[in-house]
Amino acid sequence: MRGPVQEAAAAVAAAVARLGANEHLAVLDLRPGRTASWTYRRAMASAKNGIYIAAGHPMADAAIDLSKPKTILSLAVPVLAGWGTPGNVIAQRAGFHLIQAEAVESRTAAMADQWLRIQPGSEEALGKGLLQALNGQSPSAAAEATGISEQQIAALWNQLKQNGPALVLGPADSPATAQLNQALGALGQTVVARSEAPVPLKWSNTAAAPVDLASIEDRSIRVLLIDESTPAESASGTYLPWSLLERKLVPDNPLVVTLGWTREGYGRHSQFVLPTGVYPEVADDIPPAVDSVAATFRMSVPLVHAPEGVVKPEEFIARAAGMEVAGTLRERAEAIHRAGRGTLFTYADGQSSAVKDMKVDDFWKALQAGGSWMDEAAPARPPAVAAAGQTAIPASVSANDLPLVAMFVDAPSSPLLSKIYQESNLHLGPGRVALNPDEARVLGVEDGGRAELETLAGRISVEVSIDPAVPSGAVLVASRAAVLDMCSAGSRAKVVRV
Amino acid sequence: MISETKQFPAAKYGMTIDVDRCNGCGACMVACAVENNVPPAHEGATDRKGLTWLRVYKVDNGLEYPDHRTAFVPVMCQHCNHDTPCVHVCPQQAVDLDPATGVVGEMPQRCLGCRYCMAACPYHARYFNWWDPAWPQGMEKTLNPDVTPRMRGVVEKCNFCHGRWHAAKQLAAASGEPSGQPVEYTPACAEACPTGAIRFGDLNNPASEPAQSAKKADSFRLLEKLGTETKVYYHSEREWVRQTAQAPRPPQAGKPAGKEIARG
Repeated sequence: MRGPVQEAAAAVAAAVARLGANEHLAVLDLRPGRTASWTYRRAMASAKNGIYIAAGHPMADAAIDLSKPKTILSLAVPVLAGWGTPGNVIAQRAGFHLIQAEAVESRTAAMADQWLRIQPGSEEALGKGLLQALNGQSPSAAAEATGISEQQIAALWNQLKQNGPALVLGPADSPATAQLNQALGALGQTVVARSEAPVPLKWSNTAAAPVDLASIEDRSIRVLLIDESTPAESASGTYLPWSLLERKLVPDNPLVVTLGWTREGYGRHSQFVLPTGVYPEVADDIPPAVDSVAATFRMSVPLVHAPEGVVKPEEFIARAAGMEVAGTLRERAEAIHRAGRGTLFTYADGQSSAVKDMKVDDFWKALQAGGSWMDEAAPARPPAVAAAGQTAIPASVSANDLPLVAMFVDAPSSPLLSKIYQESNLHLGPGRVALNPDEARVLGVEDGGRAELETLAGRISVEVSIDPAVPSGAVLVASRAAVLDMCSAGSRAKVVRV
Repeated sequence: MISETKQFPAAKYGMTIDVDRCNGCGACMVACAVENNVPPAHEGATDRKGLTWLRVYKVDNGLEYPDHRTAFVPVMCQHCNHDTPCVHVCPQQAVDLDPATGVVGEMPQRCLGCRYCMAACPYHARYFNWWDPAWPQGMEKTLNPDVTPRMRGVVEKCNFCHGRWHAAKQLAAASGEPSGQPVEYTPACAEACPTGAIRFGDLNNPASEPAQSAKKADSFRLLEKLGTETKVYYHSEREWVRQTAQAPRPPQAGKPAGKEIARG
């Protein structure tokens, strides 16, 4: 019987067959660093004109060693609220003084040692101001942009310099952050390179290298396969606005297939949306967290059967390239076991065992039961810095009729998360924006009322919450794909009553 | 011959919550709902009509920046040990204080939905089922078989994960441990808390972490002046947080806690 999966596969095959010499079959991986990511890379290496696009950080192999710094300046990074491994962050928390520079009192700002309230969208400006202070220049422009005085910026730089080792955490593609960490000696000390967990040699020998979106020629992708099986809202740092992807598609009949858990993401722009399973229905591995210095390998295993008709993105994409895959997680586990390095931690008994002392079947069984493999510590070295590609809608567009600056918070997505936004006011719910009461009064919008959020890239219907914690001149936006297509953090926006 | 029944000292389950560690993520709220088959919000549910056995409140000290401070306070049934208000007012005997565990239990089968207990609870920790429970299609597969969903028209609340306590009892019995002996278990919220802010144990066991934490200088209970002798202890090194806990009701977003205290 021919269903949507077969139709999509046939459409992909037909489109691949008519690929021009300069046209591509591309895979966009929203959660790189998994075993499935290696399958995509192998599939694209074997396919005609295949390319693998990994959404994410330009320093993808970088990890932060939280045991090293004594002072951390965070430029609106949610250090204490979901950024790293919670247990590790809390364990290291007493060892560093946290200065949170942020326009709104986020959950991290609330728990930081020092909250430095800056103007909305001025994080990069503060970074540049610190660089000027470093070079003995007057940070006057930064003072104007951030709303804090030149003396405060200079004092902040001295605080970092004198209470080292210090580290600056900033937006993923922030040049100022990278330069500050260079100046503070953090690169190679607290910002270190992390290798990946071992993979079978036949994989690494036949895998396509990840390609940055910005380096792909415009109008060159004929077939785009998107693995969106991870909720975009929980990976807002890696979501690529549709307008940036669209300009890479060929102008005549490009084919976009989204394999996702929701129709509200890239599915809105795709010819085919194929449903994927979600935790706890599927087996998948978990990329290491940003504060994990050593390579790790952990798995989620299915606890319930996935519904009929869901697709495994790994299998679909491999088939599109003429490959058949099965049991890749087991193959990966065997490769790790063969390498004989590191330890396996089992949560049930709190024990660590050396992998070299384990049989491969026992190792696999323990991984399936929730065990976590961690590589041996390697000598610290600085990460390789790839060119920062454009992954966000330009934020600094000046527009006099867009008086607000957009700031983002992750929005809950699963139905039971209604407990934390609809049935309580702990978090901003999906489809909502929050405004300062004074701002709302001027705009004529009420708490719970409908409005439209407008940016240069479009407008979208939202529900308004009024929150005195939101600074004037800003609008706090719950991130979701439709909004992330329109604006990024720091974009100019306005809210219009409807 | 009649054998003598061995008497074990009763357990007094309790909790300590380190407010200084809570980052307001809400994982405890979600874990609680998953464990106890609390359904996702009905379309018409609001923060007044929802079912949140455990609710994290955001409170602040009411001061302007740079002196402004915020904290997150998880609040669930405080399991009052003395003059338990909800037990007193229930006309159906649907609420009881279990002498063997110290847990304030709720029997939905007996509840007639008068909501006297909700009015009596000083902690706003009781919730009424305004709608029949419903889960999105497919999600019913993830329901906990150890917990019965409640029907429309009855009140429900935290019971320190009664299903888990039963499971621990069964496990102990299967292991040959004597019946009636207090068992160790962990409620879902404590298990899910990523920062380790919530700890659970037997307050009658001096070696348990909650028993020890409860004695710390900066420990406090909500509305201690009521004399309800709750079994949920909080801890914060911040004076204003400890003061907020004595306010007449959990402060809400946008309403400064400091002023509440001044009025109280």
